[in-house]
Amino acid sequence: MKKIAKSILILLLAASLLAGCGTSTNQKNEASQTTKEKVVTIDFWAAPNPPQQTFWKQMAEEYAKVNPNIKVNVSPMPESPTSEAGIQAALAGGNAPTISENISRGFAAQLVDSKALVPLDTMDGWNDIIKTRNIGNTIQAWKFADGHQYVLPIYSNAMLFAWRIDILKQLGYNEPPKTYSQIIELGKKLKEKYPDKYLWANPDLIDSTWWKRWFDFFMLYDAASNANKFIEGNNFVADDKAGVATLKFLEDMAKNKLILTQKATDPFETGISVWTTIGPWTFNTWKDKYPELKLNETYVLALPPVPDGMSTDNVKTFADTKGLVIYAQSSPEKQKAAMEFIKWVYSNPENDMKWFEITNLPPARDDVNTNEQFKNYLKDHPELQLYAESIPNAIPPIDNAKFNDIQTLIGQKAVNPVVAGQVDAQKAWDDMKKAIQGVLK
Amino acid sequence: MKKGQEKLGWLFASPYLVYSLIFFVIPLFGALFLSFTNWNLISPQYENVGFLNFIKAVKSPGVKAAFFVTYKFMIIFVPMVLIGSLVISLIINSLPRFKSFFSVGYFLPYLASGVATSVVVKGILSYNSALNVWLRNTWHLNIDWLGSQILAPLIIAVMISWKFMGYYSLILTSGLESISGEVYEAAAIDGATGWIKFFKITLPLLYPAMFTVTILAVGLVFGIFTEPYVLTGGGPGFSTNTWQIEIYNQAFSKLNAGYGSAIAIIDSVVTFVTIIIVRKLLEIWGKSYGWE
Repeated sequence: MKKIAKSILILLLAASLLAGCGTSTNQKNEASQTTKEKVVTIDFWAAPNPPQQTFWKQMAEEYAKVNPNIKVNVSPMPESPTSEAGIQAALAGGNAPTISENISRGFAAQLVDSKALVPLDTMDGWNDIIKTRNIGNTIQAWKFADGHQYVLPIYSNAMLFAWRIDILKQLGYNEPPKTYSQIIELGKKLKEKYPDKYLWANPDLIDSTWWKRWFDFFMLYDAASNANKFIEGNNFVADDKAGVATLKFLEDMAKNKLILTQKATDPFETGISVWTTIGPWTFNTWKDKYPELKLNETYVLALPPVPDGMSTDNVKTFADTKGLVIYAQSSPEKQKAAMEFIKWVYSNPENDMKWFEITNLPPARDDVNTNEQFKNYLKDHPELQLYAESIPNAIPPIDNAKFNDIQTLIGQKAVNPVVAGQVDAQKAWDDMKKAIQGVLK
Repeated sequence: MKKGQEKLGWLFASPYLVYSLIFFVIPLFGALFLSFTNWNLISPQYENVGFLNFIKAVKSPGVKAAFFVTYKFMIIFVPMVLIGSLVISLIINSLPRFKSFFSVGYFLPYLASGVATSVVVKGILSYNSALNVWLRNTWHLNIDWLGSQILAPLIIAVMISWKFMGYYSLILTSGLESISGEVYEAAAIDGATGWIKFFKITLPLLYPAMFTVTILAVGLVFGIFTEPYVLTGGGPGFSTNTWQIEIYNQAFSKLNAGYGSAIAIIDSVVTFVTIIIVRKLLEIWGKSYGWE
């Protein structure tokens, strides 16, 4: 027995030692290879979805052909348990990649606060990217409170609303309503004719999860306030009048029983509701699952509604937008190589076109609507036309490091209780404002 | 014991000891350290904030909700799963054959993914599901199952009970099998009927198994996460906000590692104290049956 145990122990020790030797030998080989051929290897974490990974792998392969001295390893971002937590764990363990995409402005603000990102505008080649990619106007909204640029936006989804125009026509409408009172009036007519249908089926309205406010509150607030900032630096600067009007609109819809907060399966697609928020990623799903949904026949797209008396032209909306960052943890040599790679990708509009084709997400450029390449693509995909046109009117998320707490409070103190009929719009706004100011102190 | 044998004992115990050291002891001390800081794990600077995280946690509505929601789940779930698993084990024990086959059948839900079952339940309870359409058309009942602060925790408790009943019934079945048939025969001669046999013989003799199952069920309540996370996200209005959801939101969603660790420490203390109290109560119950 003793002998057997000793043998097992010796075997285990030998195996672990050999395994250790194996790793170090590989590392040595890699290091010597790097020195001999002067190849800089950079790690690129792509968003954990197949279309975006396909795009970045394609870019890395093409780049390797023209620049063999820089090798780009593309891998999916770990989601353990969220992509933000995956990045946090990698940074904490010193294993962060050189670049990653899929970074929202709020999360970037947190990373900036922790000095984890490289200010891109201080690097050689940044101005070339801005110029060649034609992103001068779009990038202005991405400037952080310290005046630096830390994120290169990749795509910008100007979030829209979809209306079931086939049902609206049955109610006597040829186009969707544009103001709050027009919507309430439509809702009343809908309930009169179809008591089982709802104007808006959205269980997120009673859920305080922070990111859900992007697709209800901020869409409406950005439109009602004509893009008045919500937070500036560490100050609450939101437009009180527009904020109360936004909540009053939700309150009126709830009071008239026009909102369904119960979870329902595809309520808009099945005609239970006639109004919904919609991003361009939805259309591919519809093609497979609901081919009967056709633009201008069964549904139309529209910008958010505005309070009565406000202009309905050039209405602002929320921009669901994410971008690339370079991590401060990587060596200057790798950071430089990463910048070279980004510069190469965005030196050719063809690559943004490829991105658009593969992901359906409009590239964050000033010329999506005017560049011939994109125009031709949009002609074949009319459902993406309004998204492209609305990019200049789309407002990126707040860039405060406490974005999560702030947006959770918008849900807990304002949107959720108003929709549940627990408080009126004015009180909800005041409670929310006080709570957010407490967080920002 | 000889010295050589002692060494051999340590050798065989070492994998577990190393495992515990790496995955339990070190993280525990790490969490304890973090709970006194405002560190988010990535910032180069952080401060020692003393007991500030603990004070903030105790005042937080999310933590207060987690505390009460856990006991609410305990009140619903523990009796439900105990009665359910006892009924299953009594049925299995009374079967003349294929006992193992039925035991495995009842055990299968334990292997089912919490995410998958939650998605199925979400579909069944959605506004336009066959069940709800039928309820509306036949009985004019429009029930918002997951939007009700009373129904949502009840549904989650039923789901978790369904998952664990088969597992706990295996423990109870083995307890039932250890009760000698002669005891029942003797009681029958004395004129004992079905219910008297159950309360005077089965339940007292099943006490050791019941003790184990109750402690496991109470401990489980403190770890509830998947079902409320997928079905309700902790709502409506914090009514299903468990400790694990609160820790997850703070540590992984808001990236407040220090504050999240403080909540985790409070949770572990509350769990420990609760289990000690439940254990004492069970021991008193056991003493009434003559168990020491």
